[in-house]
Amino acid sequence: MTAAALPRFGIEALNVYAGLARITVPELLRGRGLDPGRQANLMMTSRSVGLPVEDPVTNAVNAARPVIAALTPGQRDSIELLVTSTESGLDLSKSVASYVHDYLGLSRNCRLLEVKQACYAATGAVQLAAGYLASGASPGARALIIATDVALTDERAEYAEPATGHGAAAILVGGQPTVLALDFGAFGAYSYETLDSARPTPEFDIADVDRSLFAYLDCLSGSFADYQSRVDGADFVRSFGYLVMHTPFAGLVKAAHRKLMREQGATAAADADFQRRLLPALAYPALVGNLCSGSVYLALASLLDQAEIEAPVRIGLYAYGSGCSSEFFSGIVGPGSAAAIRAMGIGARLAARRELSFAEYRSLLDVTRHCLVPEPDRVIDVTGYHEFLPDGGQHLVYTGSKQYHRRYEWR
Amino acid sequence: MTGHGQYRDAVAELVRGVIGTILPGVPVSAMTEERHLRELGADSVDRVEIILSILDLLSLDEPMSSFSSLPNLGALFDFLTTEKSSR
Repeated sequence: MTAAALPRFGIEALNVYAGLARITVPELLRGRGLDPGRQANLMMTSRSVGLPVEDPVTNAVNAARPVIAALTPGQRDSIELLVTSTESGLDLSKSVASYVHDYLGLSRNCRLLEVKQACYAATGAVQLAAGYLASGASPGARALIIATDVALTDERAEYAEPATGHGAAAILVGGQPTVLALDFGAFGAYSYETLDSARPTPEFDIADVDRSLFAYLDCLSGSFADYQSRVDGADFVRSFGYLVMHTPFAGLVKAAHRKLMREQGATAAADADFQRRLLPALAYPALVGNLCSGSVYLALASLLDQAEIEAPVRIGLYAYGSGCSSEFFSGIVGPGSAAAIRAMGIGARLAARRELSFAEYRSLLDVTRHCLVPEPDRVIDVTGYHEFLPDGGQHLVYTGSKQYHRRYEWR
Repeated sequence: MTGHGQYRDAVAELVRGVIGTILPGVPVSAMTEERHLRELGADSVDRVEIILSILDLLSLDEPMSSFSSLPNLGALFDFLTTEKSSR
């Protein structure tokens, strides 16, 4: 197949919702009695915090609503696949997508799925969706992939607690890839079984820090090697104008980049290269924390908001999910990509999150850490959280459940 | 002392030198065989840097996951000695 004949699919629109509250990393470290000196290697300044009126459904809907609102009715009805990617599932059978589909008002002629592979799953779904759309089975169709999660980490997570985020990324995939035109067939995967981190119950996470970080690093090398085997002349140092990586915390991305540069014999250039090619993608992750499978798309939004992209440029992206599965892939962004992301106002919303004291944070966590636990009947007093909500009545909140059916309202 | 024992001593000296570079406040006397890098104050990024530097200096191409379960510095010295000897 010649280059001219390659299918052109990718991300048409992208929005990130990262909650309504945040706590600074120094405040959280102080509150937990942890070493403030660790902030330097974490490279984190704050993290998003969930409220009792938020859950994986509200995060997903609040991320996707602006994307859907910008579509014509015909474009909205062309969404024939809705996938929620989450490690914060609400039920062993019923998907988060089933609720999200309803509150977004999508067509009933639409497939609904929920996928899970820790922080990798959304990227797997994006790639599968792009491949399906490129097959031509349904010309003009679109797919909406939403990575959505909530944080359950507490003091048991130690230094992972300040690095854990809350929110969702909504990714509209189609044949007019304004935000990111995927390089068709340019990808590399690397997966193997390991128990580096997991969520064995709806109330807590487990993690083996070294096993997880080391797997992330091995998978970057392994997935990029697979990418190189598929893409003639691919070069980590020269092929990509910018890099976007899954960001458990920005300090790990810096270490991972350094490892790859070493492997390419480019150690001496690593620091300057990191500043130039990676730092723009770390600005939002450093303010939000790990957004699970949405993290790489938060990093993409950060790049497009922070960098001066004046001409089309190829970028390399890396997604990693514990367990583990990973992918290195690439695509083209340009000035139109940056304009599309700017229109979403992500930076302004991050700045508008209300700052919490450690006491407020701990009080909220006492409630939110149970948010995924199925209860037949639950009532949440929304009035206690009005001060957090934006004006306009277009924000979905979680109000409780009745006979296990979760209830939501627009406020 | 056997050749293997001498080589292990050389590996241990190299590892302690790397730790001293990444964690300049830690004296060599604190880097005892039964301690883990965590106990010396190395955070996760420091541990990555220490292992990558060691692999560079020993010209070893070993997956990072090989180092996930080593319980202490003594086990690290043993592992590196065995890996280097087998190549």
